[in-house]
Amino acid sequence: MLKIIVQKELSVYFRNLNNIFLPLIFFFLIISIFPLVLGPEKKLFDKIIPGIIWITTILTTILTSNNFFKDDFNNGIIEIYLTSDSSIELILFLKIISSWFFTCLPIIVFIPLVSVLFNISFDSALVILATLIIGTPVLISIGIFGSALTMGLSKNNILIPVIVVPFYIPVLIFSASAIEAVSIGLSYEMQIYILLALLLLTLPIMPYLLKYTLRLSINN
Amino acid sequence: MNISKIANLKFFYTKTEKIISFLSILTLFLFIAGIYWGLFVAPEDYLQGNSYRIMYIHVPAAWLSLQTYIFMAIAGFIALVWKIKIMEIASVQSASIGAFFTIIALVTGMIWGKPTWGTYWVWDARLTSELILLFLYIGVIVLYASFSDKRQAVKITSLLAIIGLVNIPIIHYSVEWWNTLHQGPTVTKFDKPSAHISMLLPLLYMFLVFNLYFITVIMKRIRLGIYMRERNSKWMKEYTND
Repeated sequence: MLKIIVQKELSVYFRNLNNIFLPLIFFFLIISIFPLVLGPEKKLFDKIIPGIIWITTILTTILTSNNFFKDDFNNGIIEIYLTSDSSIELILFLKIISSWFFTCLPIIVFIPLVSVLFNISFDSALVILATLIIGTPVLISIGIFGSALTMGLSKNNILIPVIVVPFYIPVLIFSASAIEAVSIGLSYEMQIYILLALLLLTLPIMPYLLKYTLRLSINN
Repeated sequence: MNISKIANLKFFYTKTEKIISFLSILTLFLFIAGIYWGLFVAPEDYLQGNSYRIMYIHVPAAWLSLQTYIFMAIAGFIALVWKIKIMEIASVQSASIGAFFTIIALVTGMIWGKPTWGTYWVWDARLTSELILLFLYIGVIVLYASFSDKRQAVKITSLLAIIGLVNIPIIHYSVEWWNTLHQGPTVTKFDKPSAHISMLLPLLYMFLVFNLYFITVIMKRIRLGIYMRERNSKWMKEYTND
């Protein structure tokens, strides 16, 4: 059962390669708009590029996790999951991971290119990578929670970001401050540990929370 | 559907009308007295002059904004776990009251900031947390509004309120921590001298009055919610026709 579900998830992503490339292209599009708006001054970008990377990542994850459960809900697959014998928590966990794999991992892979484009120093680029690797699963799972809350609605495009973005704030604060700390030569371990704590708090709870939310959304 | 639960709503709707009108008048008079106490009787602050007096609105509103969120989440929890209808209504209806308190706290804080800090807004930890709290309230309100099936909406918003309550301390402390990093140079912070008892007593009094106001308004809004939900039921038609 689990194997079939994983295969189904993967084939949904791979069948339409747009699913992988569009978020990445969107990410680069938004990133390259910033120099056009703010002017290509190097000194300014040294200071704000980590923030720009994080904001663009947020936009990308919000857009991709927006209709996370929509197709499964309309097909009735969610009901089948909820009534099936196999562990739905594990299925949801795998869905979170696969969503992260196809929307955030491409961005993370291309961070070296971004850091070349914006002259980010090697140390800063490493910390940006670390915060993205630790932080994006949290963002993705919060976004998926928002999409589970609004699953029964036909139109929810701008609603989910309004609900979900306040919950992003801790991750953003600690990521931004880790990057800032390394750029002025301070220690950034504490921020990374807190990000790890947020990750290890969110990921194990999220499948159970999602299961409960899906149950609430289905039992009208 | 359980009969005792409908009876419960009916009991609340029919018995509280007089209590609410009594409470409204009482709150109004106590509020006027508190304003008089705060604005005219309490002594002037030696550092901030008279501008500190806005605290008698600002501080209770800020406390109540958080307290209302806790109330909303706990009522939502009770509604989800024990399926008590009146708590469903209470949880949803308290969201807009809480947002109102938050806006009052923000606006009075900005008015106080102009003479004290020289600017209406600084990205200070407390103001920023209060702003985020407003966004959390707005999230609950818009989520409730976007469902056409209101019984479903109540369950979903209760869940969001509970998750929000768990997150508020995390958000608050991360914002506070963020603020200690970015201490703006233009902000002149006063050493907080411990306020004199003659200033604190009116503040405590105003806090109690604001609580009374909350109780009055939430009861009124629960009645409204009961009316909206039960307006087609038999007892409601009989009661309103009398």
